[in-house]
Amino acid sequence: MTPAGLRAFGSRWGWVLAVAVAVSTVPFLTSNTFLVKILTLAAVNVIVVGGLALLFGYAGQVSLGHAAFVGIGAYAATYLTSVAGWPWPAAAAAAVALSVAGGLLLALPSLRLRGHYLAMATLGFGEIVHLGFVEAEPLTGGVDGMRVPPAVVAGLDLSTPAASYLLTWGCALLAMVVLRNVVTRRPGRAMLAMHGSEEGAVACGIDLTGWKVAAFGVSAALAGLAGVLYAQRTGFVSPSQFGLTASILFVAMAVLGGARSLLGPAVAAVLLTLLPYIDALVPGLPRAAAEFVQAWVEVLVGFVIIAVMLFAPSGLAGLMRGAAARLRPASGPADTGAEEDAAAGGGEAA
Amino acid sequence: MGFPELLQFTFAGLKNGAVYALLALGFTIVYASTGVINFAQGEFYMLGGMLAAFLFAAYGLPLPFAAVGAVAVAAGVGVVFELLAIRPRKDGDPLALIIITVGGSILIKALSRHVFGPDEVSMPVFTRGASLEVAGARLELQTLWIWGLTATTVAALTFLYRRTAFGRAMRACAVNRRAARIVGVDTRTMVMASFGLAAALGALGGLAVTPLTQMRFDAGSSVALKGFAAAILGGLGSPVAAVVGGVVLGLLESMSIAFLSSTYKDAVALVVLLAVLFMRPQGLLGRARREKL
Repeated sequence: MTPAGLRAFGSRWGWVLAVAVAVSTVPFLTSNTFLVKILTLAAVNVIVVGGLALLFGYAGQVSLGHAAFVGIGAYAATYLTSVAGWPWPAAAAAAVALSVAGGLLLALPSLRLRGHYLAMATLGFGEIVHLGFVEAEPLTGGVDGMRVPPAVVAGLDLSTPAASYLLTWGCALLAMVVLRNVVTRRPGRAMLAMHGSEEGAVACGIDLTGWKVAAFGVSAALAGLAGVLYAQRTGFVSPSQFGLTASILFVAMAVLGGARSLLGPAVAAVLLTLLPYIDALVPGLPRAAAEFVQAWVEVLVGFVIIAVMLFAPSGLAGLMRGAAARLRPASGPADTGAEEDAAAGGGEAA
Repeated sequence: MGFPELLQFTFAGLKNGAVYALLALGFTIVYASTGVINFAQGEFYMLGGMLAAFLFAAYGLPLPFAAVGAVAVAAGVGVVFELLAIRPRKDGDPLALIIITVGGSILIKALSRHVFGPDEVSMPVFTRGASLEVAGARLELQTLWIWGLTATTVAALTFLYRRTAFGRAMRACAVNRRAARIVGVDTRTMVMASFGLAAALGALGGLAVTPLTQMRFDAGSSVALKGFAAAILGGLGSPVAAVVGGVVLGLLESMSIAFLSSTYKDAVALVVLLAVLFMRPQGLLGRARREKL
């Protein structure tokens, strides 16, 4: 490895390590289990939205039914541990595999449909799965949902607040590292080419079918994993958690974060997950202010989605790039960030 | 199952089908002029019902005025939405526009909860009176209203499209926006008008069913999905296609209750949607387009 390569390697893993250490100290700093719980839910959403960012931002495939995969993961893991009596790791693995199977199924329409048609097909898929959760009562407990037994591995209960937090954030960081490696290499470039122009990508010898299926498979796997982690954290699964509202919120997080970015959507996922719980995060916040935020958060989400698409197509990622470029005037012309923004914005127009 | 029961299910299917047809018309009109599937279409349906009930109850307007007012306000919301959220995104990128209309749907729904409250609202039927008896089946007067409104709307739209300069301009816009602009059609106004018209049609459907089923701020998305399924089934092409799609879907749903179980009623539209998208994306009445790849 060249010295520059080594340095890049060091700085990249240095960042990962720094974030990992910072994140992992939280449960040791606070005894507020509610705070730890909502931070865990933020990590769950980071995992889902990471997969969605790959699918939407890189491969250019819309999914308005991603909550279905989260639900499949959550229900499968719950059923296999509580009813079938499987050990948790085996159930978790099977649940993720089942989500992948669902993702491959959803990839089928994507091979024929584009844009709006695909968006509606994924929405329909999500609604059918949701209906399945309600109606398949022997498996899912119907509208009443089902309780999730504690996830115990080798005598260690993973569903305590701290253990769950560390497990979920560990998975989230690992997912981000894996996704980062996917998007910066051949698969990422192939997907971006496909996003830009399918005809052009085919002309360059890119296997459209293969990459679309892979993108759906990976993002479904991550959503399934998130579902498994979500179930063991909340201890309860019911259909209402995995409906259209959740699917749309995931898309909102990915869009707000910015296309062609992983970090932006991850940050957006954390922010949007925590926003309704703002009173737990900011101790001195007046009650009225917190209630105001909770009451208007949906209006804000809708407004922000439109505003981002109109005025800041590169989302949070674009803002962060701009800020980073301003902080590092010595490392090159300050307009690199702007150029990347322009490229991202222009690419979306394609 | 006897004939009266079957007829009863047919009436129910035709009633729902007429409402789906109105929503499908909305999807079709906006799609024709912009190439956009408006994910907020269901919210206009919801707005129609909520506004009419609200104007009737809170302001004490007579029912016809409340109904007209609701349609007008919903159309206004549709126009404002186009002006503020769709028009500024000039490149017309479908991914971006999908997300914008999804955002619009969330926004309208959330604002409606603040304005109208979280509860179900209702309003009286348009004409009081005993329901009719047709060959042993019951036919409610409100159902006749729904059929009448849908039929009148389709006739008016057909007239608009075929006989008026405005309608011809909209059709030109649908065929080729650039060419339409070159021959002097104000395409921006046409797009704006199509959003307003689609919103008005959705609102009309919503207010017509509110006396029967009540209305809630979050009632839009499930109906929108059915309206879209109807539009896809018909083929996203013409008003006639939208109506055929709506009626067929309504009947399929009703017959699924009659012969299977009410459990699967809501799944019918979804299965139809996925099946048509997958096997015949051009719909029942559409012509096959050449695949780009």
